[in-house]
Amino acid sequence: MPFVTAVHVLGSVATPDVQPPTGVMGALAKAAQAFISTFQEGATFFTGLLVGIVPLLIVLLTAVNALVRLIGQERVEKLGIAASRPGIIWYPVRYLVLPFVAVFLFTNPMAYTVGMFLPERFKPAFYDSAVSFVHPITGLFPHANSGELFVYLGVAAGISKLGLPLGDLAVRYLLVGLVVILIRGIVTEFITKALMARRTRSDEAEAVAA
Amino acid sequence: MSAEFTASPESPATAPQEEKRGAFDSFNDMLVRIGRAVGGVVGILYQAGRDSIETIIRNILPFMAFISVIVGIINKTGAGDALAHVITPLASSLPGLLGISIFCAIPVLSPILGPGAVIAQIIGVLLGTRIAAGDIHPQYALPALFAIDPQVGCDFIPVGLALGEAEPETVEIGVPAVLFSRLLTGPLSVVLAWLASFGLYQSS
Repeated sequence: MPFVTAVHVLGSVATPDVQPPTGVMGALAKAAQAFISTFQEGATFFTGLLVGIVPLLIVLLTAVNALVRLIGQERVEKLGIAASRPGIIWYPVRYLVLPFVAVFLFTNPMAYTVGMFLPERFKPAFYDSAVSFVHPITGLFPHANSGELFVYLGVAAGISKLGLPLGDLAVRYLLVGLVVILIRGIVTEFITKALMARRTRSDEAEAVAA
Repeated sequence: MSAEFTASPESPATAPQEEKRGAFDSFNDMLVRIGRAVGGVVGILYQAGRDSIETIIRNILPFMAFISVIVGIINKTGAGDALAHVITPLASSLPGLLGISIFCAIPVLSPILGPGAVIAQIIGVLLGTRIAAGDIHPQYALPALFAIDPQVGCDFIPVGLALGEAEPETVEIGVPAVLFSRLLTGPLSVVLAWLASFGLYQSS
């Protein structure tokens, strides 16, 4: 009982007549307050991320990592060989299925090693296609590029703060991403072909001149 | 931990009892097989958990810390409001988004803007705070995601191609091929995303 009364007394005494600091010390105190509150703002943001995103991320990453281990990365080779066939029906395999599988199973930097199964003329286009997919995939499968999540998460944080569901945005991001990587692959393959043809022509001209 | 399960039932210790094989031994074999399968799956799940925690600590938490400091400074110093005046009109109309994407795709700038996607991530967070504040309609989240990202991987082309075991000649051609391709496909991706964003977060 005495403890409670002491707190009560302390509370009633502590609140009223505190003068705000003035003069030089006042300015310093105000600056210090502004300094600390800048980082308090950051800390509040950090807590929001930690509580709102990290638990889901841990569970999701664990599930998908296990799935990747169960599927096994060896099977990609066969797909890569199929994807290097000429013909228009193999474009979607080369610049849509193969980049998706590569980024999903091998994740960000190692996905580009899948390019080794393709002939030289397709390699720049495959790289372009695979690297363009490392952000659209993070909406649903953050394991694929865990170092660069905030392109999507930053924007998504704004949406969820409005109380709107994220599923629609994540799915559309993924689907539009797939269309974009297909187009990007085809365009880059075309440009690579043109540049390679120009290279061989100039080489021939040099050979003739020499 | 899977070492116990990898010992085969026909190991030297059990070989002398080979002639006494019967119902008990086949039952034992089955137990070993089930144990090995379960141990394998549990081992995979456990390793996956270990990997994901390591990813969180190594990649995700450091970036969260970095982003939190930036956001704190931007919000408190008022730089956020200044930036908002620049970003909001750009990010809430198709021509503005196309402008951003063309800027990011300029072949000289794209390799500079690329590394670690740091710039794209900071702008992503800034756009998020603007969307939360109601300055940008949530429908524009989708095209904006593509508008801030035409430079993705442009800093990494030689390394990425080398990972795919490309010849040096292919790298020489591949770098300009990808950079010029982005100039076309960057704005195109924004238009596609804009078209795909109809019906997204529309209030009825």
